[in-house]
Amino acid sequence: METFFTTSDKIQHIIKSFNLIKTLFVSSIIIGDAHIGKKSLARYLFPDAPLVSGKNQEEVKATLENYDEIIISDFEKLSNPSDLDFTNKRIIATANYLGNPKLIDELFAFIYTMPVLQERPDDVKYLQHKFITEAIHTLMLDKADIDLDAIPMDLSFNSRSLKQSIYSHIIKQTIHIHDITKLLHDYFYAHFEGNDNYRKHLGLYEKPLIEAGLKKFGSQLKLAEILGINRNTLRKKIYEHKID
Amino acid sequence: MSTKLIDFKSFVEWDNSPFILFDNKGKITYLNNVAEILFGYVSKKELYDIALLYAPQNFGYKTTAITLVYDAFNFYAITVGYEDEYQLSLRLYNSPRVKPTYKLEKDKLLITDINILLEANIALFRTKNSNKLQLLTDQDLPLFKIDQNNFSKLLRKTLNAFRASDSIDISLKLLIGQHVIIENKKEAIVQFNIEANGRYTDTDDEIRTLATYGQINCIIKEHSIKLEIPLIQ
Repeated sequence: METFFTTSDKIQHIIKSFNLIKTLFVSSIIIGDAHIGKKSLARYLFPDAPLVSGKNQEEVKATLENYDEIIISDFEKLSNPSDLDFTNKRIIATANYLGNPKLIDELFAFIYTMPVLQERPDDVKYLQHKFITEAIHTLMLDKADIDLDAIPMDLSFNSRSLKQSIYSHIIKQTIHIHDITKLLHDYFYAHFEGNDNYRKHLGLYEKPLIEAGLKKFGSQLKLAEILGINRNTLRKKIYEHKID
Repeated sequence: MSTKLIDFKSFVEWDNSPFILFDNKGKITYLNNVAEILFGYVSKKELYDIALLYAPQNFGYKTTAITLVYDAFNFYAITVGYEDEYQLSLRLYNSPRVKPTYKLEKDKLLITDINILLEANIALFRTKNSNKLQLLTDQDLPLFKIDQNNFSKLLRKTLNAFRASDSIDISLKLLIGQHVIIENKKEAIVQFNIEANGRYTDTDDEIRTLATYGQINCIIKEHSIKLEIPLIQ
């Protein structure tokens, strides 16, 4: 059975309300940004209900005829929602946005708004831990080799960006020099265009080198010494690569 | 035909229009069944004052067309009369109920525990509001038939009218002794009442419409909304 973790008061109230109406034939909709757990919540609360996407109106209609309980995801994508008959059916719909408020108000008895991950710090921690464990397991890595504290938390697209940033970070941390060489090789191979390619691609090496150096050593004077180049040359390159 | 031996008291007692007898100090000496229920919504003093105001100048009876509304009670006329200086009678005439325009499809109604629907709607309300809320419900209310979806919408909108109120009082109880006739069948009434120090009125018309679908009597006031729900068996 699927589990759903949350400490958000708002979502706890949604779960409470859903648990109460589990035996009733009412229509409900959960509205909120993409990738915040709407579908997971619906699956967790109604594990036996068939799930159909609003992308396919005919499939939704056919499922409605055969089942009394149904989960409709992407409700906003239905081509003609007012054509559906919800009479004495248990409907759990999810939508990324409200769309036509009047229609939603007419069709649904229970209209829930689910908060984004940004407003749910404890849920983010839980998901972060879940994705890290999952990534380490999938990539067959050793937890000790990864600096977990340095993992960035990109919540711009909720769990999708969070998951992507974790996987990306973990992969980057376990990368070897031959992987970097291979990556650069493939990149150059795909991006040779016109003349002057040496100068054009030099930034791929110079920019991260100078940025990392400045971060590590603080002063341009020290970095010039470390890099073994002239101070004026370094300054010129900082300007060229638009490094702050 | 002689009427001297006929005891009219029980006819008055069970008449559907309220009948009240006051003494010359405004004390009630008799009231029929329905008047007893009426006094749940209006004070003795108010009705006595009305009786005095509309009393005939001399002994006898006077009927005046006047609209009086006390919650679900709606009167279109009163008769005030007295035959001596000690007793004053007041009879109030019920306005005919408007025939519902929407026919209830009883076979589509589902047996429901109204307390569950109310609790679920309060949880929904709680996802958006943190107002102080006091709830008094009768947990022993019998299950009855209702359009669950439509009634949930009605509850959502009714609660939502109080989204910015400071302190909300909600009660759900059986109205003892009151009934409504639906499709020739006498049904008991459950009363849902919500009141606060103030409320939004933007959805009053929608609330009235949704109530009509369920043949629910809806009494909307400045600070409260009352729904009288037929307990269809």
